[in-house]
Amino acid sequence: MGDLLLEQLTWGNALIFFLSAVVLLMIVLGFVTYAIYFERKVIGWMQLRIGPNRVGPFGLLQTVADILKLLLKEDTIPRKADRALFILAPVLAYVPAFAVLAVIPYTDSLYFADLNVGLLYYVALSGITTLAIVLGGWASNNKYALLGGMRSAAQMISYEVPLVISIVGVVMLSGSLNLRTIVAEQGNWFWEWNFLPQIIGFVVFVIAAVSELNRTPFDLPEAESELVAGYHVEYSGFRFAFFMLTEYVYVYAIAALTTILFLGGWHAPAPFLDFVPGLLWFMLKFACIVFFLFWLRATFPRVRVDQLMGFGWKVLLPLAILNVFVTAAYIEFFIKR
Amino acid sequence: MKGLLKGLGVTLKSMTSKKVTTSYPDEPFVMPDRFRGIQHFEPDKCIVCNQCARVCPTECITLTGKPNPDPEKKGKVIDTYDINFEICILCDLCTEVCPTEAIVMTNNFELSSYSRDELFKDMEWLSTNNKLVRKDNNNIGAPTKGGGK
Amino acid sequence: MIRTEELLLNVGPQHPSTHGVFRIIIKLDGEVITEAIPVMGYLHRGTEKLAENLNYTQIIPYTDRMDYVSAMTNNYVLCHAVETMMGLEVPERAEFLRLIVMELQRVASHLVWWGTYLLDIGAMSPFLYAFRDREIIIDLFNELCGARLTYNYMRVGGVKWDAPEGWMNKVRDFIPYMEKKLDEYNNLVSGNEIFLARIKGVGTYDAQTAIDYGLSGANLRCTGVNWDIRKAEPYSLYNRFEFDVPVGKIGDCHDRYLLRLEEIRQSLRILKQAVEQFPSDGETMGKVPRVIRPPAGEAYVRIESPRGEIGCHIVSKGKSEPYRLKFRRPSFVNLQILPKLLVGETMTNLITILGGIDIVVGEVDC
Repeated sequence: MGDLLLEQLTWGNALIFFLSAVVLLMIVLGFVTYAIYFERKVIGWMQLRIGPNRVGPFGLLQTVADILKLLLKEDTIPRKADRALFILAPVLAYVPAFAVLAVIPYTDSLYFADLNVGLLYYVALSGITTLAIVLGGWASNNKYALLGGMRSAAQMISYEVPLVISIVGVVMLSGSLNLRTIVAEQGNWFWEWNFLPQIIGFVVFVIAAVSELNRTPFDLPEAESELVAGYHVEYSGFRFAFFMLTEYVYVYAIAALTTILFLGGWHAPAPFLDFVPGLLWFMLKFACIVFFLFWLRATFPRVRVDQLMGFGWKVLLPLAILNVFVTAAYIEFFIKR
Repeated sequence: MKGLLKGLGVTLKSMTSKKVTTSYPDEPFVMPDRFRGIQHFEPDKCIVCNQCARVCPTECITLTGKPNPDPEKKGKVIDTYDINFEICILCDLCTEVCPTEAIVMTNNFELSSYSRDELFKDMEWLSTNNKLVRKDNNNIGAPTKGGGK
Repeated sequence: MIRTEELLLNVGPQHPSTHGVFRIIIKLDGEVITEAIPVMGYLHRGTEKLAENLNYTQIIPYTDRMDYVSAMTNNYVLCHAVETMMGLEVPERAEFLRLIVMELQRVASHLVWWGTYLLDIGAMSPFLYAFRDREIIIDLFNELCGARLTYNYMRVGGVKWDAPEGWMNKVRDFIPYMEKKLDEYNNLVSGNEIFLARIKGVGTYDAQTAIDYGLSGANLRCTGVNWDIRKAEPYSLYNRFEFDVPVGKIGDCHDRYLLRLEEIRQSLRILKQAVEQFPSDGETMGKVPRVIRPPAGEAYVRIESPRGEIGCHIVSKGKSEPYRLKFRRPSFVNLQILPKLLVGETMTNLITILGGIDIVVGEVDC
């Protein structure tokens, strides 16, 4: 893939790029399908249930059936909704979610775009989704949706700041914004990965990431027991499916990003385990993070909105900045390249 | 932080513990003997004393009697007997007062149907509903024999 | 200049956290509530009026449907009122059975509250854990009286069924099981920092306010007032058992939460003693006239339901139907403080406070 990216862009190459994007889309859709299945199973087990088991063997086709149901549903647009924005919002939510996946490297050789500002690209694009959520909440012309949209705007903007600053430490250590370089800079033993030297950054990143994903315990924008469903309360059918899809694609993206930034990407935890392909290590770490997210959802209650903001600005942001200074001091005194 | 971790521990432990759900529509749900399900009615035992209709808190039982076709016997026999399960609350009072145990409870409880009309059960339906009839009909408050008139 | 408007928001009647068909109209300034108007009556079935045309035995199934989470105590308050009016003796065995089912019901009711409260706050698993354990109680009741929710178990002068073979042993086994599960509940939720931050200091009122509003049950005791009718005016056999009445200090949602969990423990303590002292034989039905006709006059009795003081006021003219029947429903009375508590709170706290009051809409609207 790497050589191909460096070649002159021809029609043939463009076709290959297009096809690989389609393949990635299919993989992501497959991931989303089974992430939802896996989530329902895991939460089911944790809640003494068995989870979906009726459609297909072990319920494997449950999500497919659900998506089919959403596709067949009547597409309703409330009469007083802002029609254009209402239609635009789910699209605007999904496009950046998929676009950020372009910069994620899976192994040394398997990646789609070798961007030297990959991390910035990720952060910049994922911010657009916030806009879509506010837009959806506003365009629905529903009070619950509006409240959900406003909450989400406040939450995602205030958690984006610590999220970005918490990564700065990693960037300083590896001296690059390129995600491939960041992985390459992490050592071969698991204690050389960034999550231990950058433990503060790692914790802040995980918390802020969960918040960015709007998942429990930070699922305020869609707080079911207060705001009914939050910003997507008026959405049904395929438009709703797109919001859902966005959420799970971001789960994919954040899990991949955490793996790359802090858990050593495709590196094996010890050099003698190198015989296992890097892709498998990547997937294993990735799956652990996804499981962790579902585990959180099965356990925690929801944070209150004012406490959420206070926590973001008063705890996470100072911690993240402190992390930057500590890292800078460490580099200055111990590494000094 | 400690509380959060403790909570995570509890859910993780539950993941492998015994599941409590049952596969109900596939396997029938077995109710204990005293369960109050849909009534079973035995027309031959009924003496048309009207007590069940009178005691019913929701007045869902309607019944009519006719003179005994056998001219040598006194009394009435039951002609029609209907229970409207739209309003029946399965409170057990009709079976409690019945002096002859003509109306008794069964363990069947599956009443759902697509039409309200189907919830109106007549004597024939009630008398064929004779599966899983309750064995123990503790008739407290029922008049002793002969006292019901 | 920017002009801002208050947002008028209808919470309910169809809303996941109003525990049934209950509606609150709130005026929001941002996320802060400036005014709250509860609207009740969506589940009004006219129980009290219907009762005027029913005889006393027929009213019992109607009481099941008032507080459907705690039907046994409702059964008891009606039977107890009629027994008080007629001066009836209830056999000891029947009274023991009543007490055991009432305490089991209190545990079951608090479990429902605990589960749904956590669900309101956003945690889903506790709800299913609570219902797993409540299911055991429901199964015990099903075995005892043939219904899972609307028991119609008690009668004027006794109970309908004696305990079946082996039932008391199952209750005995349940007590240590439940105690173990309570510890698990505490591990799962009670120490959770997110949860504590959500409920500490929310919906606080002092003892005088609570008394002025006529609150009862955990809603009153959380302010430090030691008032439990089981202790203050012992009915049934409660004076025979040792148990404590837990009281709070601050009067916030956290106190109410701890109180209810502690009440489960105390109920288990009563149950433990009651199961030990349960008489080996005896009647389950006292000597009751065939037609129940309380003498002309009035009576008001009150007992401690899981939600507070439930009272029954009967006005009799000597007929087999009451002239007037009035239930003092704790959910209804406790709910009256809601508009006062909500002003100045956020939308999120509305759910926390409403859940903390522990209402059952069937009882509010009656």
